[in-house]
Amino acid sequence: MRKFRFALVLFLVALVLIPLGGCGQTQTAQTNILHDYFSQDPPGFDPQADTTLMIYSLARELFSTLVRYKGNTLELEPELLAEMPTISPDGLTYTFKLKQGVKFSDGTELTSKDVKFTMERMLMKGGVGQSPWLFEPIKGAKEMEDGTATELAGFKIIDPYTFEITLSYPYAPFIEYLAVPSASILPADYITKVGNDEFSNHPIGTGPFVLDSWTHDTEVVLKKNPNYFEPGLPKLDGIDYRIISDDATANLEFENGNLDVSSIPSAKFDEWTKSGKYQILESTPLNTYYLLFNMKNHALKDVRVRKAIAYAIDKQKILDTILLGHGTLATTFVTPGIPGVDPSKFPGYPYDPEKAKQLLHDAGVDHLSLEIWQIGSTPPDVVVAIQQQLAEVGIDLKITMMDRAAFRQARANGQVPMNYGNWWADFPDPDNYMYTYFHSSQSKSMSSNYNNPKVDQLLNEARTTTDPAKRAAIYQQLEQIIVYDDVAVVPLFHLKDYLAVQPDVHGVIMHPTGVNSYRAVYKGNQGQ
Amino acid sequence: MLQFIARRILATIPVLIGVTLITFILVNVVPGDPITAMMEKRADPATVAKLRHEYGLDAPLYLQYLRFLGHAVEGDLGKSFRTKQPVTQAIMEHFPATVKLAVSSMLVALILGLAVGIISAVKQYSWFDHGSMILALAGISAPIFWVAIMLQILFGMYWKVLPISGYTGWRSMVLPAVVLGSRYAASIARLTRSSLLETTRQDYVRTARAKGLSERVVIFKHALKNAIIPVVTVIGLQIGGLLTGAILTESVFGIPGLGRLAIDAINHRDFPLIQGTVLFTAVIYVLSNLVVDISYAYLDPRIRLE
Repeated sequence: MRKFRFALVLFLVALVLIPLGGCGQTQTAQTNILHDYFSQDPPGFDPQADTTLMIYSLARELFSTLVRYKGNTLELEPELLAEMPTISPDGLTYTFKLKQGVKFSDGTELTSKDVKFTMERMLMKGGVGQSPWLFEPIKGAKEMEDGTATELAGFKIIDPYTFEITLSYPYAPFIEYLAVPSASILPADYITKVGNDEFSNHPIGTGPFVLDSWTHDTEVVLKKNPNYFEPGLPKLDGIDYRIISDDATANLEFENGNLDVSSIPSAKFDEWTKSGKYQILESTPLNTYYLLFNMKNHALKDVRVRKAIAYAIDKQKILDTILLGHGTLATTFVTPGIPGVDPSKFPGYPYDPEKAKQLLHDAGVDHLSLEIWQIGSTPPDVVVAIQQQLAEVGIDLKITMMDRAAFRQARANGQVPMNYGNWWADFPDPDNYMYTYFHSSQSKSMSSNYNNPKVDQLLNEARTTTDPAKRAAIYQQLEQIIVYDDVAVVPLFHLKDYLAVQPDVHGVIMHPTGVNSYRAVYKGNQGQ
Repeated sequence: MLQFIARRILATIPVLIGVTLITFILVNVVPGDPITAMMEKRADPATVAKLRHEYGLDAPLYLQYLRFLGHAVEGDLGKSFRTKQPVTQAIMEHFPATVKLAVSSMLVALILGLAVGIISAVKQYSWFDHGSMILALAGISAPIFWVAIMLQILFGMYWKVLPISGYTGWRSMVLPAVVLGSRYAASIARLTRSSLLETTRQDYVRTARAKGLSERVVIFKHALKNAIIPVVTVIGLQIGGLLTGAILTESVFGIPGLGRLAIDAINHRDFPLIQGTVLFTAVIYVLSNLVVDISYAYLDPRIRLE
């Protein structure tokens, strides 16, 4: 018994002592640090190896792109470039001049060689690049992707600060591609020396901040890049992103003042906006929320059925009640605000259940069972409302919920029968929406399975047309065919985005592409 | 004794192989694959194929499993698909937080559970007994996330004496330990009470009382030692469970433990990380069961390990 008692005492003492040992680092109240959070640990910091909004946001702080958007507008301005590129009259050759003296955070200078390396790395066969589409218009890209070339034929280094890019075909949106965070310019020498994995964990870039520390599932700490090329920026000393996977906890931390920035849960919207305690930032991002049909689904084969569904949904009611009026009704698939989009030319599908019933009757189906697949564990309110509204015209909609990975696999295999989803533009061009969903080479991977040779031809033509008026006309023709003639998708809403920010934080750039930037943020009066 | 331990350890080998095989089959049968799971916006078929090859997912399944097993024997559990971090390193980074949470919540559970259980048994049918058993029932029934939010609001927001969440020192472990520990305390208290009540009705306890021993000596020296055996079994199993991660508590309080690692791995279909965490969990369970079995022998000399 004595032995046991001694062991028990020893055990209890150990129990008390072990938890008192160092548990990570303690938080200090540094005033010029911005406190934000992510809901999950980032996979790393390589902007080519991931396409999530989290990595896009981090890439804007750690790296720079050749061109970028001016503030929260859609106008491009040079970032790493000294001036906007010159384009040859045939639209094939772009000549770029880099700013001189731009340094990576290890002190080495960024030159044309790094740009070439970046583009080749994305395209390389067996590489980590997840967005090769960004550089596919460049001559020789295909050869790099299939492994028959190790150098990008269309990239010519003229001197350390000048280079020329030749495209395979004139391609209007190419310049927009260069502002996508995945197109950030990476350090050639460093990556060659340390390898992809090490770079992803310990990145160096030319952005306003550098990675200071990363404690898995706890926090990502960025500090000011002393070599940043824009004088006076950044104004913050650093950014501390905590990893908080529980939304309710993150909300409490924000309300308690421990976080400076938070997205606003709909349950808290009224409370937070009316309390007057926080700044509520609003943006009109480039997004479209839609109902997408799988054209290979037997029950949806008849265009009259798809059209009936479009008329049976009371979009205004859903927007006003469930979505609290935070957006506008969509009549086009491409978001208005993008050059060439004119919503006034399209009527949309007004709520008309009688017409819906008539269309179903004409199609010979008075009762129909359909399936919609969604990500998550509980059906989104909007989908439940759609289910009820479809029931009123005799359509029985079964909602199947699946986890993210299962849904994405099913989508990539073209198996999702119908989906209430959304697209946030990577760059402001109709091609980014329409080619992705409706070109026959891509449509299976988005589960639209749309295949219309006329549309393919128009999409290809729009890509190689450089005259903006002509391109706009083609995309309007495409809207008509895809949304109104074929009803492959029902555009529902363009929703606003909101951010709650503590009152002493200023200068957050909420960009319409959904990628926010803290480059010019300051706290209190420090940056004024 | 040593022979017994050696035999038990040898017996775990087929268990562990079985666990890896079942996990491997399950992750490959369940819908969802690691490459498309990573590709949030679009999954261009050519890019998907390129990455599948890069991660060795285009090899036949039996070959993928044998490769995993071959490396695992050498202590190499591979690299996470998503983070490229070696799996063993990821587990070792997350294990300390889980150990701290397990140990501190077990401490709460033991102190509360044993004390309440003993007092309730000694003062059977008193107001303390009834009150604490109702509380214990509530403790088992209340959802963890609800208790957690209530404590976060009280101690973190109103009184501001403890952090709402985070992993920043011993103070940040208090709320999670109380939330998780009180749940285990409830079952320990109920078990201790009933076990002690049963023991106090035994002849040898009556003998002890008849000898004129004080009630303190009767309870602690004679009754409790025998009453504690079923409690130790339960505690052993609970520690095994705690050491493999408390997913909800870790998520709500932002503790970077094994539970969160495993859930993230499953959500991303990060096959090597799923395999690694499951294998590690199995080892922990097997070991904690072994420790429980050995501790029986110390507590009750009638139990022979051989």
